[in-house]
Amino acid sequence: MIEAILVYGAISGTMYALLALGFTLIYGVSGVINLAHGSLFMLGTYLFFALTVRSFELWLLPAIILAAFFVAIVGSIVYRVTIHPVVKDQLSVMVVTISLAIIFQQLMILGFTSNRQAVLSLGGELARILGVKELVILWGVKLTYSQILASVVSITLFAILMIFITKTKIGRAMKAISQDREVAMLMGINTERLCMLTMAISASLAAVAGVLIRSIAGVTDPSVWVHPLYMSFAVVILGGLGSIKGSLIGGLIIGYVENTFVFAIDPLIASILNLPKGGTLSGAVIMLTVLLVLLIRPKGLFGKRIELE
Amino acid sequence: MIIAYLRRIYSSFAAHVFDIPSRLLALLLFLLLLCFPMTRPPLSIFVILTYTSIMAIFAASWDLLVGRTGQMSLGHALFYGIGTYVTGLLFYHLGWPLWVTVPLSVLTGVLAALLIGFPCLRVKGPYLALVTLAFPPILTGLILYFRNITRGDMGIWGLPIFFPFVSYFQVYPANYYFSLLLLFVSGIILYKIATSKTGIVLTSILDDELASKASGINVTKYKLMAFAISGLFASLAGSVNAHLLHVANLTSLDIGLSFIVVAWTIFGGIGTIYGPIVGVYILQVLDQYILTQIVRLPTPWHYVIYSVVVIIFIIKWPRGLARFVTDKLKDLEKARDIEERGKWIWKTYKKK
Repeated sequence: MIEAILVYGAISGTMYALLALGFTLIYGVSGVINLAHGSLFMLGTYLFFALTVRSFELWLLPAIILAAFFVAIVGSIVYRVTIHPVVKDQLSVMVVTISLAIIFQQLMILGFTSNRQAVLSLGGELARILGVKELVILWGVKLTYSQILASVVSITLFAILMIFITKTKIGRAMKAISQDREVAMLMGINTERLCMLTMAISASLAAVAGVLIRSIAGVTDPSVWVHPLYMSFAVVILGGLGSIKGSLIGGLIIGYVENTFVFAIDPLIASILNLPKGGTLSGAVIMLTVLLVLLIRPKGLFGKRIELE
Repeated sequence: MIIAYLRRIYSSFAAHVFDIPSRLLALLLFLLLLCFPMTRPPLSIFVILTYTSIMAIFAASWDLLVGRTGQMSLGHALFYGIGTYVTGLLFYHLGWPLWVTVPLSVLTGVLAALLIGFPCLRVKGPYLALVTLAFPPILTGLILYFRNITRGDMGIWGLPIFFPFVSYFQVYPANYYFSLLLLFVSGIILYKIATSKTGIVLTSILDDELASKASGINVTKYKLMAFAISGLFASLAGSVNAHLLHVANLTSLDIGLSFIVVAWTIFGGIGTIYGPIVGVYILQVLDQYILTQIVRLPTPWHYVIYSVVVIIFIIKWPRGLARFVTDKLKDLEKARDIEERGKWIWKTYKKK
């Protein structure tokens, strides 16, 4: 049981961290609480589905990159057209982005019906190409290649993003905007274009997360955006809004809390209260964890800024 | 003597309602809604408008908490769901009549608002919004977990109706009038609270919390008061709607309900109390009647059009529809004043 908690906790933790990464990035740079993050995730899964199943067979890696690229374009256009005019008012941003989420969901229903669609299992394809078994046994815990791939890719993306932000010129410009927007503007940084670029990066991260996470489950449907949105909220509040390190640590904490609950505590409660066990309470437990952390630290673990003025 | 009293009532009414154009407009709209059943519309419209009135109470209660006090809540469906489920569970397990269960569920809503108000006092801004978002899924998880008590996602069916003594075809108009009356009363109470001294204190918390604290206002007390009042009306809407639809289920805790109330309020004009009511009526009638029954678009297109309308409104007219109308009316009034003053000056000039 302890092995299962350790391994599954790490894997789901890194996946949640990848989900929250894009969310925290766009908040940190332009102060936008992007409630459409989950629907960009959903859009990524649908594009991947369309590229690999519907029309023509592509290689898997180009398909992922193409899906991420399209979602990035959609994200930046949407940012420029709808979010940018209201970017100073957080409530308006929330309403605009939730409306966008609803629009994306309904367009997907119109395009692909509201039924579930099968997403290609990346791990399964990888195992087929390499000619090995689909299941890996690590410390007596069964894992699929999809799960390992998701975890590895998300850690790699974290590393790449950290290097990008600290080392490159554009990354440092983003950091400058997040610290002081006006001064960054005075230093000759085109804040509007950089915010669009950040939104594009954030959207492509959401799309990659969507492809990786939904290929574990193997299906996608238009309502698949709600759960990722909640999870990225939980991670981001726990770690602190706008903090990249915080989102990794928050993701790991939430992954471990969820798996500890599912493997250890839930069966115990179910056996005491004589109830059928099921994962229905795990969301509530995650949210309660977040609440408890916020009561002790009102800005999350690594959060610094609370207002953007 | 009675006539004198009546005359005094009329003159005070005229001074408070007729002389202020926006209130006169509100009265006319209310009268329009009151007289509208005389045209004998199909029964489905009564159902739509009943639901709309209940949602208007819900939106106005959200507006008092967020638009007036600035406590950004994205999980307002929690209070609605508590209202729905308390009345449903009391009926299902104890079989109590609705004139007991509805007040009890409202009371529970107030208690829950005070309870979740305490942790919400510590966090601010986006953190508060995201924390309040966490509450409805917690309650949903609990309801699904204890499904032998709450019946899980099946919901509780067959709640008693408000008017069992009227005939089948009269039930819908009766429900309509009942919900309209409820909306009128709660709207006036909420508006009175928002414009009273308490309301001014609440607005001062929205404008600058530190400054209001510095001028000796017990911010904690007023924030909790705003939570309690808001929870009261939201749970009232939830429990009444449960009885109107005869069902209490998990759609009352849906994430969509928490968000759509924000859309309605911003569309109508945030912080005005009457704005969200107007917004709910326009958007609901657009969605449920015009797009469904007249244009007959497939359902996904409704949501697309609805969302596009909301986005355009927020970008173009961020102050909301109701404020736009009242601003125009104020301009008219000002123009009229200037005209009359001009006439008066002209008369005095001629006398000299």
